[in-house]
Amino acid sequence: MKPPVTEAYATSLSGRWARYLRLYRSFLMHNLKNEMIYRANFAIAVGMDIVFMGVNVVFFAIVYGNVETIGGWTFHQTLILVGSVGVVRELAYLTFRQGFLQLGDYVRTGNFDVMLTAPMATFVHLAFRHVSLTESLGEGLMGLFLVGYGFAHLDAASWISVPLYLLMLFNSLVIYYAFSLTVNSMVFWLVKSQELNTVVYYFMNTARYPREIYHGLGKAFFTFIVPSSLIATTPASILAGRAEGNLVGLSIGVAVVLLCLGLSVWNWSLHYYSSASS
Amino acid sequence: MPAIDVKQLSKSFKTQRKEAGLWGSVKGLIWRESFYKEAVKSVSFSLEEGELVGFLGPNGAGKTTLLKMLSGILYPTAGEVKVLGYTPWERNREYQRQFAIVMGQKNQLWWDLPPAESFLLNRDIYGVDPKAFERNIDEMVSLLDLKDLLDVPVRQLSLGQRMKCELVAALLHQPRVLFLDEPTIGLDVISQEKIRSFIQEYNRLKKTTVLLTSHYMQDVEQLCKRVLVINHGQIVYDGLLDDLSKRYVDHKVIKIRFVEAQSATPPPGLEGVVEWDAHHAVLKVKQKEVAATTHRLLGELPIEDLSVEKVEVEEVIRRIFEEKPGIEPG
Repeated sequence: MKPPVTEAYATSLSGRWARYLRLYRSFLMHNLKNEMIYRANFAIAVGMDIVFMGVNVVFFAIVYGNVETIGGWTFHQTLILVGSVGVVRELAYLTFRQGFLQLGDYVRTGNFDVMLTAPMATFVHLAFRHVSLTESLGEGLMGLFLVGYGFAHLDAASWISVPLYLLMLFNSLVIYYAFSLTVNSMVFWLVKSQELNTVVYYFMNTARYPREIYHGLGKAFFTFIVPSSLIATTPASILAGRAEGNLVGLSIGVAVVLLCLGLSVWNWSLHYYSSASS
Repeated sequence: MPAIDVKQLSKSFKTQRKEAGLWGSVKGLIWRESFYKEAVKSVSFSLEEGELVGFLGPNGAGKTTLLKMLSGILYPTAGEVKVLGYTPWERNREYQRQFAIVMGQKNQLWWDLPPAESFLLNRDIYGVDPKAFERNIDEMVSLLDLKDLLDVPVRQLSLGQRMKCELVAALLHQPRVLFLDEPTIGLDVISQEKIRSFIQEYNRLKKTTVLLTSHYMQDVEQLCKRVLVINHGQIVYDGLLDDLSKRYVDHKVIKIRFVEAQSATPPPGLEGVVEWDAHHAVLKVKQKEVAATTHRLLGELPIEDLSVEKVEVEEVIRRIFEEKPGIEPG
């Protein structure tokens, strides 16, 4: 017997997706209202991001003043690569990143309780709870600009690659999310999540180097254990006209496997949440 | 079918002992002595739909742990629970849409936004029909007198106002089962009273099954006919609040006031004197001797007023908790 006031719970897959999209919109609106309360903070954050991305570009400009290519990547291709990292970062803040940064506090104070009692998946609730448009907005805009700039200066730019580029950006987002989820599952033992998110931070920091610089064991490590070499390289390769079919297949495979792993580790870890006594 | 059915439920936590002081902390880095603390020990009880039952126990007795297991927040170490036919820690979405938990010391509302915003979000999370949502809000807002507070940021609300809003947020989806953990803690007397009568009214109107814990005896005395008393993780009493005093206390309190000043010492042979002065006296007398004692007092002394009262529940509870764990009631 259902309570009469609530709509029937969607059991079909499409119904569930539709429901979570609606919930996403709702959480995003609430977070926007929340962020607008602190306007000054917002402006500083955007400014800092743009400076940070600028430093990145200067760094690569200096390197390319000395060499023609890195791992076969030209300067403009590298701009697409670096820009894609920025775009993925912003997408991550738009969908889940901030929630993981807060997870330690939630677990320590016991406020995580509400995520276990509300009728939505905990790993979605946590992600949506702090979605932020502005947190990494500067980085995202700058990234988009770099991707556009690099793309415009390519010798063999092809618009046909754009849809696949977007698809692989989404795939990278899935890898990033799954990695965050797996690493952050440890919070239920450690109770603090700061160190865990430092790990995730360095994970994303290594994403801006082309995958081709790694060899042998290093390459395997940054593909299967810490799959950061796929995050930017895969989408950027497609847009830069360097894509190989098996890289796309590999990235999708890693994303699917890692997501399944992340979800099982997470759901298992919830058994060890001990809440906080009131 | 009972709304809540708990069988042999146990929960133990692994905790670590750490010596105090810096040296203790350093040692703790290398070696920690861990042990299991049994928070809930083989507890069984059941509630019928629509019942409003109070959970009594001192701090650390296991009340909150129990509520958290019934809400699916914690997994039990052993035992079985069915709430509305669901096993809580499987976190079935259908179950989650039919219960709510409110904890007096936790905040579910968005801190920087007005409560109305949190209500809207909960409407979406619980998929509440918009019309029913408006109706529920209006109803509860008028019951709780919240009209002018809906647009004030939560951080600017007083504790009492916030607690009322927490209740509204939790009840928007009209749960069939409601767990309240210390809903009145830290509130002033008026807010306590308001929340108490709201819970009573709500339970009466909606037939919601309510399990409530509180430190304040008044909450329980006003709201609950039936109580569960828990101590050291075990249920030591499950029954009517009225019977609790009968079972644990075999005496009553006689209070008298004299017409005129009397000798400040009680007459010889009178038993159970607690207080005695020239104008008043209080006696604690065994149940079966109440009649005889009253008769004697009225016969021997110039009494203006005499009353026979039950021992206060609070004292009864204190007596239970002072006894050893695991006593058999009755």
